[in-house]
Amino acid sequence: MANQSTFETDVMPFVPQLYSAALRMTRNPADAEDVLQEALLKAFRGYGTFKAGTNLKAWLYRILTNTFINKYRKQTRRPAEVELGDLEDLYLFKRIGSDLGGATRSAEDEALDMFVDEDIKKAVEDLPENFRLPVILADVEGFSYKEIAEITDVPIGTVMSRLHRGRKALQRALWRTAEERGMMESGT
Amino acid sequence: MSRYCRKSAALMYSYLDREITIIRRLRIRSHLRRCPPCADGFHFEAKLKDRIKHDCYDEPPAELYERLRAFLQQHGASDTTG
Repeated sequence: MANQSTFETDVMPFVPQLYSAALRMTRNPADAEDVLQEALLKAFRGYGTFKAGTNLKAWLYRILTNTFINKYRKQTRRPAEVELGDLEDLYLFKRIGSDLGGATRSAEDEALDMFVDEDIKKAVEDLPENFRLPVILADVEGFSYKEIAEITDVPIGTVMSRLHRGRKALQRALWRTAEERGMMESGT
Repeated sequence: MSRYCRKSAALMYSYLDREITIIRRLRIRSHLRRCPPCADGFHFEAKLKDRIKHDCYDEPPAELYERLRAFLQQHGASDTTG
């Protein structure tokens, strides 16, 4: 059993990460703070039921994710599953590669540097929620597939397929950005 | 593209996420040493994964802690049900 009196010292160190994750989920600072505030209150009230020594970070992200879903899924009325269609492996790598005409090795790597931070952030935030959550939890927060399954309450196989497809969709979005800006033309 | 390339591609994300057994991990690694095109692809995906981790982090506003503490003190103490 965890004690409420240690809540602040135990939980406050996670606030920056939780805030950042909430920001990627909600896509704006005011909503991110609302979700975080509500999640922390739930965590505080339920802290007595948290088993000390188990995975505190995963427990907090589970509360954060549930709070986000309960607060926003009602509003958006999105279909439960959004189809992305089938995308091939190494989607972005292959497109950049063929655009560069197979120039030099690691040219694709350098091409990745042409994207600024905001491009990557926007590509993540534009993913449909079902795919955005596993991408945030795996790539940004570093959770394992099993942890993500527990945090989001979906089977591990579903986590994997959403994560993998979410990543490909993110690459497709980045490729569209590159095309719109004619980013790769200078490299040919 | 050899069958080793196809096998490695199928396991690429599990490999990058460190979600496969050590045996499979070593097999993939030995394939990547022998196959520069696959190695380039894996390297690209690893770099993109790093970019996502790095670029998606935003520092919270400085006053956030104070606001959260005040909120918890106000609501946490008055109602401990639920």
